[in-house]
Amino acid sequence: MNKPRVAFFDFASCEGCELQIANLEEEILDLIEIVEVVSFREVMKEHSDDYDIAFVEGSIMRPMDEERLKRIRSNAKILVAFGACATIGGVNKIRNQWQPEEVLRDVYGDVDLKGNKFFDVFKTKAVDEVVKVDYYIYGCPPPRDEIKKVITALVMGKKPEIPNYPVCVECKKNENVCLFELGKFCLGPITRAGCNAICPSNGRACDGCRGILSEPDTKCVEDILKRYNLTYDELKHRFTIFNYRREEER
Amino acid sequence: MKSLSKQDFLKFVNNLIADDFFEVHGVKAKGKRFVFAPLDSADELRLDYDVTILPPKKYFLPQYETLLKYDLSKSTVAVEREEKKRVIIGVHPYDLIALQQMDKVYFDTYVDNFYRQRRENTIIIGSDILTVSERSFAASMNAHTVSSGYDLMVTDIGDTIVIDIGTEKGRDLLEKHAPMVRDAQEKEIKKVEKLRESLPAKYKRSLKIEKESWKKLLEKSYEHPIWKELSEKCLQCSSCTMVCPTCYCFDVRDEVSLSTKEGTRIRTWDGCLLPDFTRIASGEIFRKEKIDRFRHRFYRKGVYIPERYNFVACVGCGRCSIACLPDIADPLSVMNGLVERKTEAGGEIVVEIPETKKEIEEVSYVPRSATIKRIEKLTEFEKLFEIELDDGKPFYYEPGQFVEVSILGVGEAPISISSPPTGGSSFELVVRRVGNVTNKLHELKVNDKIGIRGPFGRGFDAKALEGRNLIFVAGGIGMVPMRSLISFILNDSNRDRYGMITILYGSKTPQEVLFRNEIEEWKKKKEVTVKLTVDKCPDGVCWNGCIGLVTSLFPQVRWRDVENTVAIVIGPPIMYKFVIKCLHTMGVKDENIYVSLERRMKCGIGKCGHCQINGVYVCKEGPVFNYSEIKDLPEAFE
Amino acid sequence: MSKDISINVEHVTRVEGHGNIVLNVKDGRIEKIEWQVSEAPRFFEAMLRGRNYWELQPITSRICGICSIGHSLASLKATEDAFGIEISEQTYALRHLAINAENMQSHILHIGYLAAPDLFGVGSVFPLVNSHHRDALLKIVKLHRLANEMSDLICGRTTHPLTLVVGGFSKIPSERQLVELKGQLNDNKGTLREIAGAIKEVADRLPDFSRETEFIALSSDKEYALYEGVITSTDTGKHIDYRNYRDVLQEYIVPQSTAKYAKHARESYMVGALARFNINSRQLSSDALEIADLFELKPICYNPFMNTIAQIIEIMHNIDDSIDWIDFLLDRGLKDEKPVDFRVKEGRGVGLVEVPRGLLVHDYTFDEYGKCVKANCIIPTNQNHGNIQKDMEAFVPQILDKPEKEIELNLEMLVRAYDPCISCSTHYLNIEFIR
Repeated sequence: MNKPRVAFFDFASCEGCELQIANLEEEILDLIEIVEVVSFREVMKEHSDDYDIAFVEGSIMRPMDEERLKRIRSNAKILVAFGACATIGGVNKIRNQWQPEEVLRDVYGDVDLKGNKFFDVFKTKAVDEVVKVDYYIYGCPPPRDEIKKVITALVMGKKPEIPNYPVCVECKKNENVCLFELGKFCLGPITRAGCNAICPSNGRACDGCRGILSEPDTKCVEDILKRYNLTYDELKHRFTIFNYRREEER
Repeated sequence: MKSLSKQDFLKFVNNLIADDFFEVHGVKAKGKRFVFAPLDSADELRLDYDVTILPPKKYFLPQYETLLKYDLSKSTVAVEREEKKRVIIGVHPYDLIALQQMDKVYFDTYVDNFYRQRRENTIIIGSDILTVSERSFAASMNAHTVSSGYDLMVTDIGDTIVIDIGTEKGRDLLEKHAPMVRDAQEKEIKKVEKLRESLPAKYKRSLKIEKESWKKLLEKSYEHPIWKELSEKCLQCSSCTMVCPTCYCFDVRDEVSLSTKEGTRIRTWDGCLLPDFTRIASGEIFRKEKIDRFRHRFYRKGVYIPERYNFVACVGCGRCSIACLPDIADPLSVMNGLVERKTEAGGEIVVEIPETKKEIEEVSYVPRSATIKRIEKLTEFEKLFEIELDDGKPFYYEPGQFVEVSILGVGEAPISISSPPTGGSSFELVVRRVGNVTNKLHELKVNDKIGIRGPFGRGFDAKALEGRNLIFVAGGIGMVPMRSLISFILNDSNRDRYGMITILYGSKTPQEVLFRNEIEEWKKKKEVTVKLTVDKCPDGVCWNGCIGLVTSLFPQVRWRDVENTVAIVIGPPIMYKFVIKCLHTMGVKDENIYVSLERRMKCGIGKCGHCQINGVYVCKEGPVFNYSEIKDLPEAFE
Repeated sequence: MSKDISINVEHVTRVEGHGNIVLNVKDGRIEKIEWQVSEAPRFFEAMLRGRNYWELQPITSRICGICSIGHSLASLKATEDAFGIEISEQTYALRHLAINAENMQSHILHIGYLAAPDLFGVGSVFPLVNSHHRDALLKIVKLHRLANEMSDLICGRTTHPLTLVVGGFSKIPSERQLVELKGQLNDNKGTLREIAGAIKEVADRLPDFSRETEFIALSSDKEYALYEGVITSTDTGKHIDYRNYRDVLQEYIVPQSTAKYAKHARESYMVGALARFNINSRQLSSDALEIADLFELKPICYNPFMNTIAQIIEIMHNIDDSIDWIDFLLDRGLKDEKPVDFRVKEGRGVGLVEVPRGLLVHDYTFDEYGKCVKANCIIPTNQNHGNIQKDMEAFVPQILDKPEKEIELNLEMLVRAYDPCISCSTHYLNIEFIR
């Protein structure tokens, strides 16, 4: 059977997701046994427009980005949104709290940037706000095990199974001392698992980089917030680091 | 009883650690909390702990456990065996009781070999409670002391440790590694008794209702407002079940390495509070609402398990209360709340576990190798597979039973057997492609190999149906298991032992009708009436049966001798309510109606917990049920 | 010589981020040489607007996937500078391990995956798998894995670290783990030497190009400066006043780039491994200097292509330095320390570190509640863009007679030699948040 042809693309991102492919270390050799990498700008010179599966990292910020993304979508049979910036907007969406013109002015002052297509930015979009996405790999960056799991599943022709339950499940299995007991406010109870609770396991409250599963009922959260002396606004401010998308969906 | 000085006890522990034969685990500090973990030296042991984050169940049902290892390129399967010998030091009485409860479940009918081996390889040294955990109510559950379930039991009374020997294994361990141990003095034994007697007073809170009465109270409170009030705050994080010593549901997954050659089948803890706990491949979720899942946990503890095993599945350790952020998981608060607010009680529930005769059988989860002998495409979504077991041994089963079809690297799916039992080594499966396993199965070709576990479940008792008139009502793929029974009964050598046969079969469209040729053959048999209907007939499709729901077929049949008629109904969940109404109108009694229910089934042997209907396991007590057995179970037909 | 050349490399491969090379020659006359930075601006300064001090490290970490540890350390140092926080000796030592791990990880990625393919005559590492260079590739991967495992151990995770917090660490490794790490570091020095040997065999493919320029890096009396030091220039010496770094690192906008350029004593300057080597080489470990000898690299070297070689030398030094710091920690014994206590206050703080690609500056101003009201970052690659442009302008005439494909490859190699981190470099300025 022919190996699937795979391509990696990046938009507005830190390229940390693609770096996880290089971080597969010796397993890169396994990877190129099961797929043919035909385009991966960060590590290869060669490029081809003939690919079956496209991994897209990064958010969409400008019309020129939208065009490139649409071209990728039409070339690929399967499109995978790769990483927080692509799946939910990630940190790139923090600036969506303000208008693009305001942000441009703040950063570039009064320099005239009109007509310069590099600076023609609109509010950050996640990949599925522009094209249809077939599968999602969540996280900032996504865990290497999950990346391997998704690639393996796609090569084997099955649907990858991504958890639909919160980080608490994995955190408890790791027998971590709950961060709430240490006075920290962890978003784990409402954030998608699959990362093996890596942040709480390292003493750090979860910031929701894999996406909030569902907005918690105000009833649920009221008591908890009171106990920790936090306001609902402060909680929402926490959400905005990676999950500003949900605000926009309201 | 024996005793030794604290110093000598530490020497004993260090001797164990030095002995390479064992891995020694004990309670040690983790920040401000405590955990069971490997001990490097006796100094780390903290017998004064209040409660550990996770109970010792993690040693016997690990968070992640490899069941099988396989090589897809060579089609080899190997079982992962846990060979390590362990000593665990410091297990509190409530956790010892919980382990005994877990034994009952994991050794029931199907003995879980992995669990059994871990139990045999582990020596348990219990320890009396010195510090009571804030949220614990073990004294109210009579779980603050225990007199069995340990190999050794130590009590720290200050400068001295008193040891009670529970088993031969414990005695041998003591003799080998603590030669300095002596017989305990009277006053030392008195101190132990005093310590145990002083415990109940240390518990801040107590139950207003003894555990033996939980069942009765819960049976009257199924619709109590407390369930809605508390579940509204539930985050559905399932932390409560993760930390609970009496919770042991698990999920099974296949994981394949990046080479796509090697893989493992692992099991991992699952939680009934999670939204997808009861979700099947087609997307249906059988316990959808948060309030139902929240309530289920308490009913399992206080009604379902007691009904089956005569003990309450809670030992009052308090871990769930500590773990629950909105603090709604505490069984003490809930039960006391139900007592205090008795006047608001409402909604009765009675759970009876149907009897099933079963011999004890050992289970290793390894599928039997089988080959696909024939494939027939029936419809756009369904294929028929003739499967032959490779070892050639005869495969005995009852119509209505199911097998777990295993595709290494993908997973397992429960499929009803569709052919009548022949006593040979082959059988037929009709599979609808909905998820990963079934889609993969559809891609396979003749002579490809799959794995089979089973047969599982309670099928139809064909003998009990003899001499009766039979009505078969099938909806959609309900015909798949039904065919097994119908084919058996209509077989020339069996036909005469049964009365009049009526078959009513409804499908969505003509293209989805299964076994059309066979159905024509059925029509030709003696005293057999067959009526087919479809919900709708698309333009251009030829169909000369009826159009309408399967219930619309009832008025078309002239029913005779209803007193002696038994109905068998299999179809989508929504169909049952309406068909049973028709049967009642006809005059068919409840105990003459049989149904076959579908739920999410993973293990097939009543361990993983996914298929429960108010505590009744569909994989063990079902999937075939007598309607009267389950008609009052709220979760059966909602 | 009458020749028309039109080279337009959009999104140069094997560099981090998006940049274009444009060369137009008509009738042998150079009309346009441009290094364009087209990376989408991500507006990090806007992201930091009004955020609490403890959120700055996780957000700025996301500026770059490869040097996320470096950004985290610069961010923490700026915050600690503002609040007057003194970290413990143990934290100081562990942070040295963290920055060494990142340097190693980033350098070996650049040397092995990004730059070496050109020297081996292939388009990427993938063809090396089934060639007679397979051995060299496996060694590169082995070293890369070690560097990542070291980052995982000290920082919790190599990309977007978890344990680095204001005032200390949220979790530290155990002594047993450090002992094991030390063993692995020792074991892999041989591997590094073998990689250096393999590169040496093909090092003649590195163009022999030289252009005098200014080099800027941190320097310190204590050590080969990475974690801390004083801004030092090969032209003007040390600049002690770190808060007025803008006197030295002067940024300006150019139309062809979404990233800014920088200059100081000349039209442009260079930062990075070669700059550090040029300024601080005598502080390198002896084994590292041995590798320098192997490649005959001596300060001051003005050939930008030797930046990759300077990286190999630094990896050896990082290994030796890490072993020393592990010994230091084991001798003291690891303590279960919490991050130091402190009070937030209004004020400004600046953090300078040397990340793999060069000098990095984070500059924060806080209000009395510890919220960020003003932020500025100066990224190493920003500072190199001007030098890349000038180098191209000087290099092109020297290679004009070669075939077009070779000119293109040479220009790409020039850009790659700088190991640019373009996504990092597309943010910017000094901004004042109007509240």
